[in-house]
Amino acid sequence: MKGIVIIVPCLVLLLLLTACSSQKNMFVLLPDQDGNVGSIEVINDTGSYVADKPGDCVTVADSSSKPKAAPAMNEEQIRTTFGEALAVEPSQPRSFLLYFKTDSFDLTNGSIELLQPIMDAIKKNQSTDVSVIGHADTAGSKEYNFTLSTKRAQTVRNLLVERGVDPAIIEVSSYGEADLLIPTADNVKEPRNRRVEVIIR
Amino acid sequence: MHRIVTFLLLFVLAAPWPVLAAEDFAGTVKNVQGSVLVMRQKMTLKVARGMKIYANDVISTGKDGSVGIILRDNTIFSLGPESELELKEYVFVPDQGRFTVLAKMIKGTFVYMSGLIGKLSPDSIKIETPVGTIAIRGTRFAAKIAGN
Repeated sequence: MKGIVIIVPCLVLLLLLTACSSQKNMFVLLPDQDGNVGSIEVINDTGSYVADKPGDCVTVADSSSKPKAAPAMNEEQIRTTFGEALAVEPSQPRSFLLYFKTDSFDLTNGSIELLQPIMDAIKKNQSTDVSVIGHADTAGSKEYNFTLSTKRAQTVRNLLVERGVDPAIIEVSSYGEADLLIPTADNVKEPRNRRVEVIIR
Repeated sequence: MHRIVTFLLLFVLAAPWPVLAAEDFAGTVKNVQGSVLVMRQKMTLKVARGMKIYANDVISTGKDGSVGIILRDNTIFSLGPESELELKEYVFVPDQGRFTVLAKMIKGTFVYMSGLIGKLSPDSIKIETPVGTIAIRGTRFAAKIAGN
């Protein structure tokens, strides 16, 4: 019994000493904003160590010590150590493509359904910077397509404003047939080129 | 004569500025808290939201400072208090397939997240620290650096 009384505090102390956040230099792998996890490798002259699971922790005492594993960190420990940096971490800009019917500025049915996810993303990112960029395919003249792609971008802008987006944060531009998503010869109808890109920063 | 001198003077003064041409900027400051500075070509500037960031900039935060930066390919660097980051090199020219992210986490706390370069050319990303370098396979990580 006496043994346990000594061993338990010793184990706790050992855990505290090896805890990742108590190390001078440490690296912890995090899932990205979509929940995906990749890997990092910490490398110096004495060796290297790969972290590939969320919360995995690598510590390096100094430049002449081997990178090595430390106990994984949970979300709370990560918040405690990195709270300030996490609080100012910008959201990844998000991009949506909306498609149009031939020679028109009517959205395809599938694209109408994307308007709500776009509104949700603007709210979630607390965006103050939305780009709406119009494009056309190569069917018709360059000038005609420039006008058409401008109208397409204007249509999307108006749909967003109707749904409550502040017009002051939207920047509208258009490229006509100058920036094809799918490269084609001139005078080719290509549905994937008849598009408006919405970028939410 | 005065006109010619004025013209020449303007020409000479204007000459170094292409270094900071708009298309050369590496990223933009998205969020700022407290005091944050950038050292750029021997000048120290106060960092504000929306400010452009260039290669060779050294960004540092004060005791109450933190900052979040998005680079043009969507790579994100966030710094906690008393932190220092040097963006040594940044190249993002997708139509020529040229990519480089080379940054040094000098001290402090950081959160890094890969952008398009992490997807298109992960080997072009290198993060240095005083105790080793980090190779990144399309991901997000946090680092605390106190040095040697």
